[in-house]
Amino acid sequence: MIRERAEALAARFPPLRVEARRVAATVLQGAHGRRRAGQGETFWRFRRYERFDEARRVDWRRSARGRELFVRETEWEAAQSVWIWRDASPSMRYRSRRDLPEKAGRADVLAAALAILAIEGGENVALLGEDMPARGGRAGLELFIAAMLASPGGGSAPPPEPPPRHAAVVWIADFLEPVEVYREAMAACVARGCAGHMLQVLDPAEEVFPFGGRVRFEGLEGEAPHLLRQADRVWGDYQRRLAEHREALRALASRAGWSFARHGTGQPAVGALLSLYGALARPPAFG
Amino acid sequence: MLTLGALAFASPWVLAALLGLPLLWLLLRVTPPAPRVARFPAIRLLRGLEPREETPDAAPWWLLLLRLAMAALAVLALARPLLNADEGLSGEGPVTIVVDDDWAAGRDWPRRAAAMEALVERAGRRGREVVLMPTAGFDPREGPSVRPLPAGRALDLARAMEPKPWPARLGELAEALEADPPPEGGDIVWLSNGVADPGEAEAIEILRRRGGLTVVAHDGRGPRIALAPDNSGGAAAVEVARPAAGPAAPVAVRAVARDGRVLARTAGAFAAGERRARLEFRLPAELRNDIGRIEVEGEAAGGVALLDDGFARRSVGLVAESGFRGAQPLLDELHYLEGALAPFAEVTRGRLEELLASGVSATILADSGALPEVERVRLAKWIEAGGALIRFAGPKLAAAGLAGGGRAAEALSPVRLRAGDRTLGGALSWSRPLAITGFAPDGPLAGMDAWGEATVRRQVLAEPSVDLAERTWARLSDGTPIVTGRPMGRGWLVLFHTTASPEWSDLALSGLFVDMLRRLVGLGSGGAVRTKRAGALAPLETLDGFGRLGPPPATAGAWSPAPDGAEPSAGPGLPPGYYGTEASRRAFNLSIDPDALAPQPAPPPGVAARTFAGPAETDLAPFLLLAAFALFLADFVATMALRGYLPVRRAGGRAAAAALLALALAGAAGAPRPAAAQTMERPGDAFALEATLETRLAYVIVGDEAVDRVSQAGLASLSDALARRTAVEPGPPMGVDLEADELAFFALLYWPVPPGHPPLSDEAARRVNAFMRNGGAILFDTRDRFESAGGAGGSGMRRLRELGRSLEIPALAPAPPGHVLTRAFYLLDEFPGRYAGGAVWVRDDRDAAGAGEVTPVILGGHDWSGAWARGADGGFAFPVVPGGEAQREYAFRFGVNLVMYALTGKYKADQVHVPSILERLGQ
Repeated sequence: MIRERAEALAARFPPLRVEARRVAATVLQGAHGRRRAGQGETFWRFRRYERFDEARRVDWRRSARGRELFVRETEWEAAQSVWIWRDASPSMRYRSRRDLPEKAGRADVLAAALAILAIEGGENVALLGEDMPARGGRAGLELFIAAMLASPGGGSAPPPEPPPRHAAVVWIADFLEPVEVYREAMAACVARGCAGHMLQVLDPAEEVFPFGGRVRFEGLEGEAPHLLRQADRVWGDYQRRLAEHREALRALASRAGWSFARHGTGQPAVGALLSLYGALARPPAFG
Repeated sequence: MLTLGALAFASPWVLAALLGLPLLWLLLRVTPPAPRVARFPAIRLLRGLEPREETPDAAPWWLLLLRLAMAALAVLALARPLLNADEGLSGEGPVTIVVDDDWAAGRDWPRRAAAMEALVERAGRRGREVVLMPTAGFDPREGPSVRPLPAGRALDLARAMEPKPWPARLGELAEALEADPPPEGGDIVWLSNGVADPGEAEAIEILRRRGGLTVVAHDGRGPRIALAPDNSGGAAAVEVARPAAGPAAPVAVRAVARDGRVLARTAGAFAAGERRARLEFRLPAELRNDIGRIEVEGEAAGGVALLDDGFARRSVGLVAESGFRGAQPLLDELHYLEGALAPFAEVTRGRLEELLASGVSATILADSGALPEVERVRLAKWIEAGGALIRFAGPKLAAAGLAGGGRAAEALSPVRLRAGDRTLGGALSWSRPLAITGFAPDGPLAGMDAWGEATVRRQVLAEPSVDLAERTWARLSDGTPIVTGRPMGRGWLVLFHTTASPEWSDLALSGLFVDMLRRLVGLGSGGAVRTKRAGALAPLETLDGFGRLGPPPATAGAWSPAPDGAEPSAGPGLPPGYYGTEASRRAFNLSIDPDALAPQPAPPPGVAARTFAGPAETDLAPFLLLAAFALFLADFVATMALRGYLPVRRAGGRAAAAALLALALAGAAGAPRPAAAQTMERPGDAFALEATLETRLAYVIVGDEAVDRVSQAGLASLSDALARRTAVEPGPPMGVDLEADELAFFALLYWPVPPGHPPLSDEAARRVNAFMRNGGAILFDTRDRFESAGGAGGSGMRRLRELGRSLEIPALAPAPPGHVLTRAFYLLDEFPGRYAGGAVWVRDDRDAAGAGEVTPVILGGHDWSGAWARGADGGFAFPVVPGGEAQREYAFRFGVNLVMYALTGKYKADQVHVPSILERLGQ
C-alpha cells in the first residue's frame, strides 16, 4: 500500500528526471565525502594576504597561528555556465539488446543528471542550440529538462551557434560522423574560450561487432544498406577502424584542450557521469 | 516391384526422380542463403570492408549434402520401400483367403489378422482381387461369399474381422466351394486355427483340387478348453483339456467374479502324455460362491467356462407362514437358521408353495406338526426332483401323531419316530445333557469337527428299525441318533431330532450348526432343481471371440432347449453367454467336446504348409519420411545459424553450429511426441486469483447497497490501518456473493446483517458451514446495538436468528475477560464499534473442547464498519456513539485485533503459561 502510493507519486515525474536524479544523487553522495567548507563553496587554498584583498576575506584563525595574514581562497568564485549538447539524431535511437537502454535515452539521462549536478554546484545550465539563457536554481533545472523533452532532435553534428564566452561545453553523442564535422563546431567554441568535454556513448554492439554470417546492414539515418557475406571475417577490420576513428576524435579534443571519454550503454550511467563531473570540476587546463 | 535382397520397392518408377539430384545440387550451389538484416548505426565504418579471403557466394558443402539427403530420402519414401517383402503369390486371378475365425482363433488373433492383411495388401499390389472366406463368421442366412472383391475393400473387411465364439462351420463352406469353386491357378491360402474341425478335411480336399493351396498353421501349442467346473467338494475344481497329449506343460486358470475381479489363480500342469489336467481353487465357500466364470490363461473364448446360479450360492427356503420376521427374533427358530445360513446361502422366507415355485435347492422346515396332504405331496415331488428338505424337531413334531400312525415316508421323515420326546438333564433327572460326538463315516456329515460344545437337552427319538443305523448321520455321545437322513428320488430328506432354536439344545448356538447346515444344504443336488422353465430365454450377455463378456450382438437369438431337452450348440445365432434375466441367468457355454478336440492333421500331399512364423513385412516409408523431416529441421537450424540468428559466438561458431545440428538430428530422430499444453480457464479462476494473490479482508454482499457500501469503505479503512500499524498489508477488500463465490480463500468474513437480509439458499448455507468448519472466522454485525438496550437483541439479531437456522453456529457466550481477542495485538477491555457497550459473543469455550481453535463466529451489534468507514473526502463517514475519537480509536484497535486473531490463531493464549515457563527457566 505504501509502495503503491510512492509509485503513484513518482509517476508524476518524467522517468528521465527520476533516473537523472538517481544517477546524480549517487555522484553527489560521492562528492559529499570530501570536506566542504561552506555553502556550495569548495575550499581551495590559503594564500598570503595581498594588498588588494578585502579585509573581511582574511582568515583570522589561520592568520593567528603565524605572523602573516592569510586569505582563504575558495574554488569557483563565480557561477559558470554549462552548455550541454546531446545528440538526439535517429542514429542514437539504437539498442542491440532489449535489456539495454537506447543510446539516446542514456545520453538524455546523462545530460539531465549533469544539469542537476551543475545546478547543485551553483552554476547555470542551458541546452546548446536551443536559444535559451543559461539559468541556475530550481527554475533553471525545470527549464533545462523542459527544453530537452521538447527538442525534436536535430542532426548528428553539434549546433553551429557557439555558446557565450568562457562557458563550459559538454557534448554527449556517439560521434560516428566523420571527424571534420566536429572540428568546425569545436573551433567555434574554442575561439570563444570555452573549455569542453566530449563523451562518446556507444552501444556494446558497436564496440564489439557481434555479427557473423551473411548480414545486410542498414543504417538508421537513411544510409544505403551494406551487405557483408561473412560478417565475422571483417571483425578485425572493424575494430581497427573504430579505434582509428576514436583516436582521431581524441586527438581533436586534446588539441583543443578538451577532454574525451567514452561510455558504453552496457555500463551503469554513474561512472560516465562521475568522469564528466570530475572533468567539469577541474579548473580549465588553461585557466 | 523391384527387389534388392530383403528390400523391395512397391513403386520403383519413383526412383527415377533420384536422377534429378545432381540438378538439385547445382541449383542449390548457386543459391546462397538469404542474408540476415541488421540495423547498425556505425554502418559508416563498414563501408568498403570485405573479408580478405573471398569465398564463393554459395551454401557450404555440408548444407548441400544435408539437402540432397533430404530429397533422396523423400524420393525413396515415395517409392514405398518394403523390408522382407513377402512374395509367395505366384498365380494369376483372384487370391482366395480362407481364415479360421472360430473360437480357437481368438488367442492369437493379432498374428492371424496381420498375416491376413499382409496377404490382402500383397494381392492388391499385384492388382489381384481377393476372395475373403471366414470359416465361422459368415452370414448364416447367405452362406459363405465366394465373390472376389477389390483388394481395398477386402482390406477393410479383413481389418473389421473378429474371431467368433462358436465353432467353424466347414460343412457350409465346403458346399459353397463345391458350388462355386475358385478358378484354377489362383492362389488359395488357408489361415488355420491349429485344431481339427469337422469337415475340414473335405474342404481342404476341394481346395487342393484347384491347386495352389497353402495351409498356414499355428506353430505353437493348440488351444486349451475349460470343461464345466465342479463345486461340490471342499474346493471348486475345473478340468482343462488340450488337443494332443504332448509333453508336460504348465497351465493356469483364474476364477473371476461376476464383476470382473480375479478371485483366485491356480497354476498346475498337464502331465506328460495326458490330455486333461484338473485344477482346484481353494477358496472359502463365500468366495467360491462369487465365482462368475473360470478362465484358462492365454486362451480366448474356448478357455472360458461361464457359471450361473446353479454353481453359485445355494438358495435355501425357510418355510414360514409369512415373509416377515417375528417381533421376538430370539424366540424364533427361523432367526437361528437364517443366521447360520446367511454366510453361504441365499435365504428366502416364504410360504411353502412360493418357495418351491421359486426353485430353491433346499428347503428347511422348522418344528412343525403333520403337514397337510397337498403340501406333503408337493414337497415329495420336489424332493424327488432333486431338492433337499431339512426338518427340525420340536414340541409340535413330538406331539404330532406322525410317529403313531403314519409311516415315515408318508410323514416326510427319514426314520419312524416315537411319540413324545426325551429329556436329558433337568431338575428331576440324573442324566445330563449329551454332546454330539459321532458322525457316520459314510454319511454327508462324515469327518466333521464336533467342536465338543454342542449339547442336547431334549430330542425326539427314532423307532429302532433295520435301516436306522445307515440313516443315522450324527449321534449323541450315548449313541442315539440326532441327525438322520435318507435319499429320496434324486433328492434328500434330513431330520434334526432337536430344535433349531436353543430351546432343546445348544446346537443352534454352535459353530457346528453352521458347518452341518452347509453340508446338508449342499445336498440340494448342485442346486439343479430346475423346474422346467417355459420357452426361450433372451440373451443377456454374450462372449466374443476373445472370451470377453459384452452386450449380445444383434444376431444373437434366444436360447431354447432342443426338442429332446438337450442343450443346443453354439452358433452365429446363439453365441455362448448368459441368457435369461438379470435375476435368473442361465449360463450357456461353448461346450466343445474334449474327446473330439484334436490337433490339425498334416495337410495332404500337394498342399504347401507354412507357419505364421517369419519376419513380418515392414513398410519403411514412414521411417524415411520421418528421417527426411528430421533433416528438414536440421536444415532449418543450420540455415538460421548461417544467417546469424542463433546466438553463435564468433570464434566457436562452426563447432557450435555442428553441435546444434547434431542435437536437432537427435531430437528429431526420437519419436515425436505430441506436446499438448493445456490452458484451462475456469469461470471462478479470476475470483480465486484476485482473492489469493494478496491477503484480503472480505465482506458479505447482502444486497442492500447502502450496507454494502459501508462494509466496503469500513474494511478499506481498516485495511489501511492494518497496513500502517502492523505487518499485515491487505489488498483492497473484496465483496463475496455467498450464492456464487468460493469462501475458502479468506480467513475472516465480515457479515453485516441488516433486518432485510435476503434468505440463504441451501448452497450458500453449505458454503458458509464449510467455511466455518475449515477454520474460517465470521464477524456477524447485526448493527442494532442502539435498539437493543436489553439482552433480547434488535431487528438485525432477529433476522440473524432466522438465518442461523440453516447454519451450524456453535454455542456462543460473551467473550470472557482475557479472551485472545482482547490481546491479539492491542490490549483491550471492550470492543466498541459505532456503538459502545454490550457484549461481543464468541464460541463458548468453557468446556474447553475447541479451546485451541479460532472461534468460527464473533457476533455483536456494534456496527464496526460504520466506525471504520471513511467518506470520499477522507473524513469518517459516521459519528460514533456516545462519541469521542477515543472510541473510534478503540474500534480500529478491535479491528486490528480481530484480523490478527483470524490470521494467527490463538497462539497469544499461550501467554498464560509464560509465568510458569519463566519460573521453570529461573530454576
